[in-house]
Amino acid sequence: MLDDTRETRITPQEPPKRSPWYLLTGAVLGLILGLVYTWLINPVVYESSTPGTLGEADKDVYRLMIAQVYEATGDLGRASLRLALLEDPDPVYALGAQAQRALAAGREAEAHALALLASALQGPPIQQEINTQPPKPTLTDPPTGIPTHTLPAPTTTP
Amino acid sequence: MHKRTWRFVFFTLAILAGFAAGLGYGWGINPVQYHSTGPQALQIDYQTDYILMVAELYQAEGDLAMALARLDFLGNTSPLALMNDAIGYADAQRYASADLGLMRNLAFAVQSALDGLE
Repeated sequence: MLDDTRETRITPQEPPKRSPWYLLTGAVLGLILGLVYTWLINPVVYESSTPGTLGEADKDVYRLMIAQVYEATGDLGRASLRLALLEDPDPVYALGAQAQRALAAGREAEAHALALLASALQGPPIQQEINTQPPKPTLTDPPTGIPTHTLPAPTTTP
Repeated sequence: MHKRTWRFVFFTLAILAGFAAGLGYGWGINPVQYHSTGPQALQIDYQTDYILMVAELYQAEGDLAMALARLDFLGNTSPLALMNDAIGYADAQRYASADLGLMRNLAFAVQSALDGLE
């Protein structure tokens, strides 16, 4: 009976080798934490911005200042350079739109300054361009009534 | 060291490496873009030009209260400090003497008004 007994040898099995995915998980977790920190908790603070990055309300204030200075000094070159700082896609349109808003709010002096600069930027008015053309003769009706020029009286021939 | 401890150490190092990469990307490569900053964040040259505009209008209108209100646009800093910074910058950048004169004129008026209040 004892011969039937079999010796069983239990060899210690090595634990299954774990893949290094946990490292990737840690890196992704750290990356997310880093982005949350830099974009939400402690973002970059700009201390040297340009007028083009101002909010719309602040741009309106800046644009109005430019227009009022132009109204006071008449320096169109300087006003154009200053307007360019605001990086408006269409400065004339922006001035016109702001003038409309100012007019609707009853601020006529502001609207006037803005409209004045807008029209100055557009160049001389169309009416002035027409005036530079040679004047066209005006057509008048043919004179009616008694002719002022009479034919000479016919001479009698012998 | 126990194998489990090593795994913990490597996991922590991976998190730190990812965090460092996130800092580099979020601050250096692709920082937050602001589309509407305040006027107090304007560069000194733009602030100086704004103050020059205020001085030009003060020269034309002679309204000191309005000039102070316009200077308030640049933030809660003292108007005199703003003026002094602007004049210092304009002087260093060799602004035209007429422009410098306008700014000094406004600074003098602001200083006189503040002295009158004290």
